[in-house]
Amino acid sequence: MTDDLDQIARMLDEGAPVTPGEPPAGVLEPWEVFRQEKDGDAMRHGGNVLAPDAELALHYARELFGRRGESIRLWVVRRADIHVLEDLDLLQPPLDRSFKKPGGYVMRDKLAAARGRAGTSKPGARAASHGGTGRRSEGER
Amino acid sequence: MTATTIASALDAPTRTALAGFLLAMADDEFVIGFSDSEWTGIAPILEEDVAMSSIAQDELGHARALYELLAGLLDDGRDADALAYDREPEAYRHARLLDHGRGDWAMTIARRFLYDTADAARLASIGAGWPPLAELVAKIRREERYHAMHALAWVDRLARAGGEARARFVAALDELARDAPSVLATPGGEAALLEAGILGRSMAAAFDAWRSDVAGVLRPLMIPLALEPAADAARHRAAPSDDFRWLWGEFTSVRRSEPGATW
Repeated sequence: MTDDLDQIARMLDEGAPVTPGEPPAGVLEPWEVFRQEKDGDAMRHGGNVLAPDAELALHYARELFGRRGESIRLWVVRRADIHVLEDLDLLQPPLDRSFKKPGGYVMRDKLAAARGRAGTSKPGARAASHGGTGRRSEGER
Repeated sequence: MTATTIASALDAPTRTALAGFLLAMADDEFVIGFSDSEWTGIAPILEEDVAMSSIAQDELGHARALYELLAGLLDDGRDADALAYDREPEAYRHARLLDHGRGDWAMTIARRFLYDTADAARLASIGAGWPPLAELVAKIRREERYHAMHALAWVDRLARAGGEARARFVAALDELARDAPSVLATPGGEAALLEAGILGRSMAAAFDAWRSDVAGVLRPLMIPLALEPAADAARHRAAPSDDFRWLWGEFTSVRRSEPGATW
C-alpha cells in the first residue's frame, strides 16, 4: 500500500509544474462563444468551450453551437482576454439616479402631489391635445 | 426524377461500373463513420468527443445517401439498410486503408487525414454525367471541407507537438502508407464512367493530385511519406482484416439480433 502511494506521489512529481501567467501551447483554456441567430440580431453569449487555441475553439464552437443550423455567425473570445469590473459596488448608485434611466423621471407621484397642493384636478384629455392642431384645441374647449 | 428512371438512360456496362463505384464510396464512408464513432464517450476531451462524433455521423449520413442511390440503381428490392448491413464481411468493398482499426488518437487522425484528403480528390473527380450523384456530391463536398479542416488542425498539432505525440503520429502514417492509396484504386469499368461523364478524370489522375496534396501538408512538417499507386483490384481482398471483422460484428449486431424487424 505504501509502495503504491509512493509510486503515485512520484508520478505526480513527474508532472509538469503549474506556472501562472500565459498558458503554454497545447494547454486547454476556456473560450467564450458568441452567436448570431439570424441576420440583424445582436451577437449573444452562447456558452463556452475548452480548447488549446482559437482554431480548435472555433471548430468546437461550430460543433456545439452551430451544427444544427442554429447560428449564422460565431465568435470565440479567450476568456483570459475578458476584463472584469471587479468593484461591483460601482454598479449600484447610492442616490436616486432614476433620471438617468431611459424612461426619465417618474412624474406621476410628483404631479399628484403638486395637484394636491394646488387643489386642481387631473387635466384628463387635455394632455392629448399637446401635439394636435389649434382647431382641435378649440373644439375641446 | 428518381435515380431509377435516370439510371435507365445508362447502358448496362456503365450501370454496372457505376454500381461498383457507388458501393465502394458508400462502404468507405460507412466503415470510417462507424469506426470513428467509437470515440464517442472516450475522445481526449469533451469538445473533441462532440466534434469527432458529429463528423462520424456526417460520414454515416453520406453513406446512407450513397446506398440510397445504389438501391435506386439496382432496383432489386434492397433498401439502404439492407445494403449497409445484410452482407458478409467478405462482400464489403471499402478501401484497404479502412481495414485498419481506429487505434489510438494518433492513428485515428492519421487515418482521417489520409482518407479525407483522398476522398476529396475522388469527389473532385466526379463529373455531371449522372445528375443524382453530381447533386449529392456537391452537398457532400461542403461537409467534407470542414472534415478536412478538422483533420488538418490535428495533423498540425500532433506533428508540431514533438515527443510522443509526433512519434506516434509518424508511426501511424508509416503503417497506413501502403494501404492508403487503395481509396483511389482504379474502379472496374472506369473507361465507361469516363465516357459517360460520371467521372471527369481517372482515379490515376486523382491519385497524382492527392499525392501532391499530402506532400504539401507533410513537407512543412518534415514528415516524408512514400505513396505508390494501388493495384487496380486493391478493394477486392481474399479476407478482410481482423479489425474489420470485429467492426462488422459490432455494426451488424443489432440488425442481426432480430432479422426482418422494423426499427
